[in-house]
This record gives sequence, C-alpha cells and structure tokens, in this order.
Amino acid sequence: MEHTDHSAEHTTEHHEEGHGINKKTIWVTFGILSALTLVDFAFFFNMDASMSRNLIFVALGIIKSYYIVGIFMHMKYEVKRLAGIILLPFGFILGLVAALLYEGDRWSVIKWFIE
Amino acid sequence: MSESVALNPNSAWNGGKSPFSVSYGKLMMWVFLLSDAFTFSSLLVTYGCNRYLSGGSEIKWPHPDKVFNHFPFLHGMDLPLVFVSMMTFILIFSSVTMVLAVEAGARKHRNDVALYMFLTIIGGIAFLSCQAWEWSQFITGSHEGSSFLVDGQKIHGANLFLNEYGPAAFAGLFFIVTGFHGFHVLSGVVLNVIIYVNVIKGTYDKRGHYEMIEKVGLYWHFVDLVWVFVFTFFYLI
Repeated sequence: MEHTDHSAEHTTEHHEEGHGINKKTIWVTFGILSALTLVDFAFFFNMDASMSRNLIFVALGIIKSYYIVGIFMHMKYEVKRLAGIILLPFGFILGLVAALLYEGDRWSVIKWFIE
Repeated sequence: MSESVALNPNSAWNGGKSPFSVSYGKLMMWVFLLSDAFTFSSLLVTYGCNRYLSGGSEIKWPHPDKVFNHFPFLHGMDLPLVFVSMMTFILIFSSVTMVLAVEAGARKHRNDVALYMFLTIIGGIAFLSCQAWEWSQFITGSHEGSSFLVDGQKIHGANLFLNEYGPAAFAGLFFIVTGFHGFHVLSGVVLNVIIYVNVIKGTYDKRGHYEMIEKVGLYWHFVDLVWVFVFTFFYLI
C-alpha cells in the first residue's frame, strides 16, 4: 500500500525521478551483462556438451534477463503489483518447458506406435 | 459510487490516476511485449522439441560450433562463437546507449538524447548488417558440402527443404527464429529513427516530457532480452 499512497502525489509521467537510475548504475549493469556473457564463453570452451552445461547456460540467461528487465527496463522501480502481473505469465512458460523436458520423449513413443 | 470512495479515500483505484503509476502507453507496451514474449517462447520451445526428438534419427542435429564458425575476411579458419559474440556485444551496447538516452530524457537534455538515440540506431544497423552476413554465410554454405548424400549428391548451403548441416527443421527454425528476431530489430531501428527525428525537431520539448523515449526504449531492451535467449539456445546449447 505504501506504493500506491506514494504514487498519489505523482503524475503518471516521470514517476521514476529520484529512483536511482543513473549513469553509474547503467555502466555497472553493462559490466555485469558483459561478465556473464564471458562466463558463457568460459563454459562453452572448457566444458563438454551435456544437460548440466545447458542448464548452466539457461540459468545465466535468466540472470542476464533479471538485469535487463530490472535495471534497463526499469521494472525494479515500478509498482510491485505491475511487476507481478507482467512477470507471472513467465512462470507458465517455465512450467511448459519443464513439462516438455520431463514428458517430451512421450512424443517419440507415440510416433513409434503410429508407425 | 461515492460511498466506496468515502470508504477508502486513499485507494489507488478511485480513478483520476494510474493505479500502477505508469502511463497508458507504457502499460500497453508492457502488455504487447508480454504477448511478443509468448511468440518467441513458442518458437524456442518448438526448437527444443525438434532438437530433442531428432536424437534418434539418422541425420543428427548439428553442433552449433561446427556451423557458425566463420568470421568476415578470415577464410578457412575455425572460429566458433566469435562472430556471434561480437553481435551479442553490439546489441548489449546499443541497449546501454538506449538506456542512456532514457536517462538524458529524464533530465530533458535534448542534445544528449539525440546523441544517444543516434548511437542506438548505429548499433541496430550494425547488428542487422552482421545478421545479413551470417545469413548469407549460412545459405551459401561450405565448399565441402554435407557429410551425407541426398539422391546421391552432396548438399551445399541451406534452403527451406534441404541443408548441409542437418535435418531440414534445423535450417527452417534458424530462419524463422533469427529472422523473426531480426525483423524486430529492423522495426526497432525504424521506430528509433522516427523518435530521433522528433527529438531533433523538438517535439518532446514542446510536449514537456520525453516519455516516448522510455516506450521505445522498452521495446529495444526487449529485443536485446530476446537475443540473450536466441543466443543461448541456438549458439551455446
């Protein structure tokens, strides 16, 4: 409730002023994103392809998206309920991907039956 | 209705202001980006399924580092991931110049906004040029051609029906996913050019705020975000 009360005095434009997105934050975020990409390369060249390596890449992608959405797209500074409404559907996508990884080979079994 | 207002005069839902403290345009941009994220997710899930199911077939799914290992002017060298990592850094950097433009817009500093928008447009065009080169490399293919034969002949390069790298679905998904992403970058560049012209003309000074920069910035960062996952699924895994 603090958020909505707080926003009452603000107009819809420029609500982000004074929320700490400044040049330093931007460059630090750029450094973090570049470093994470370099970590990707380190795993790519030093580890053999395997499911655990794939999971590391996906986890790094999710960390990168946290910084892009949170800092660059300003989601960290928005009203929490807005962030929740926009981000919740991504939980469904993750659920779909998990279900397909767990049950995905059923497709080849069905194909085998048909043939 | 007046009773409910009287019950809680501080509620954000009384009207007269945005309950989420964002403008209509920005909220709708978020909704659009959400729907776009579903489209991209479905494409990447399709990629994952096809690749997973191809495990038992005769023509194996290719390793990305065996396909995307070229760099301009360096013929015959095996350089996996180098060119595409350059593309990644170009896009991340153009995202940084975009957020710098948003920051300058909050200060209402027109020259800074124009400078950073210009750099963002340059970054977008550079990325598109890289992708055009990558596509032409992919379509032309290698001199040696495929390791397998179709109708007694080797295949060179790729089209929608056959490709030298692996199953037909590999090239098809490469074209649709990177093509759809590239089309988003292209639309982003067009939007950025429109906004840039408006900044130069002083439209947003007259309007009193630079919120359009934030909206187009959301779109641009989303394109960067999608690339993070296209990069992960197509080039790393």
